Amino acid sequence: MICRDAIDVLADYLDGTMPRDLAAELERHLADCAPCRAYLATYRKTHELGAAAGRVEMPEEMRARLHRFLIGRLRAV
Amino acid sequence: MSTDDRSLLARAATGDADALEILMTRYSARVYRLAYGITRSTSDAEEVVQDVFLQLVYKGAGFEGRAALGSWIYRITTNVSLNKRRGKRRELETSLDELLPTYLPDGHRAGDRAFLLADWSRTPEGELLSGESRRILEAAIDRLPEHYRAVLVLKDVEELSNEEVAQIVGDTVAAVKTRLHRARMALREQLTRHLGAGA
Repeated sequence: MICRDAIDVLADYLDGTMPRDLAAELERHLADCAPCRAYLATYRKTHELGAAAGRVEMPEEMRARLHRFLIGRLRAV
Repeated sequence: MSTDDRSLLARAATGDADALEILMTRYSARVYRLAYGITRSTSDAEEVVQDVFLQLVYKGAGFEGRAALGSWIYRITTNVSLNKRRGKRRELETSLDELLPTYLPDGHRAGDRAFLLADWSRTPEGELLSGESRRILEAAIDRLPEHYRAVLVLKDVEELSNEEVAQIVGDTVAAVKTRLHRARMALREQLTRHLGAGA
């Protein structure tokens, strides 16, 4: 496996959906390739950071405003 | 869809405020997360949440319920959010090609060796999610095309399967996987350009 192929399959590798033989091939490549190890580590961390940054909560005043708006519209149903 | 959800929709359609409140408690947080994740605007996200719940009230009783209500809500939220974004802020969105890895003719990575070896993954998460790093991350997410952001939120924030995401966005699993991978690589590249030197 070469770097291009290794990076192509990182998402499946992280997902755990990759066939076992292909995962073993990737792991052999990673053992020998420091740039791809760095790429995988930072790719994985990026995934975690993106998830953490995306866990936004609706502001409380917005929740109250929505509640008033929707209940008001419901009365018109 | 569970009988419970179906009966709540039916009750909400007749003007039952309690039913609507239960639906809001159950689903508004995820609607807001997805709406904000796609539109990247709190005011647009608020309008999306309004629209989605109005659709639940006015059209929910007619929903056939072949899928879970949650999936249906994700689908409506995605569509309303993408419509809301139409024609807006496109100047921020850049081509991802310049943010993807480049290769030598033999398939190995091309580029400066120190940059290729930069590994900032052990930097404490609190540090990565604050200050300049957080600003870089948020700006990088802003610059993603909206269809990429939709997939990124559904998969990485909402933790749905590729198959569920594909159904929600109305695309193939292969297309979803490609978009997700390219989005993550683009974010990674921008973080590495910022953090790499100090890693």
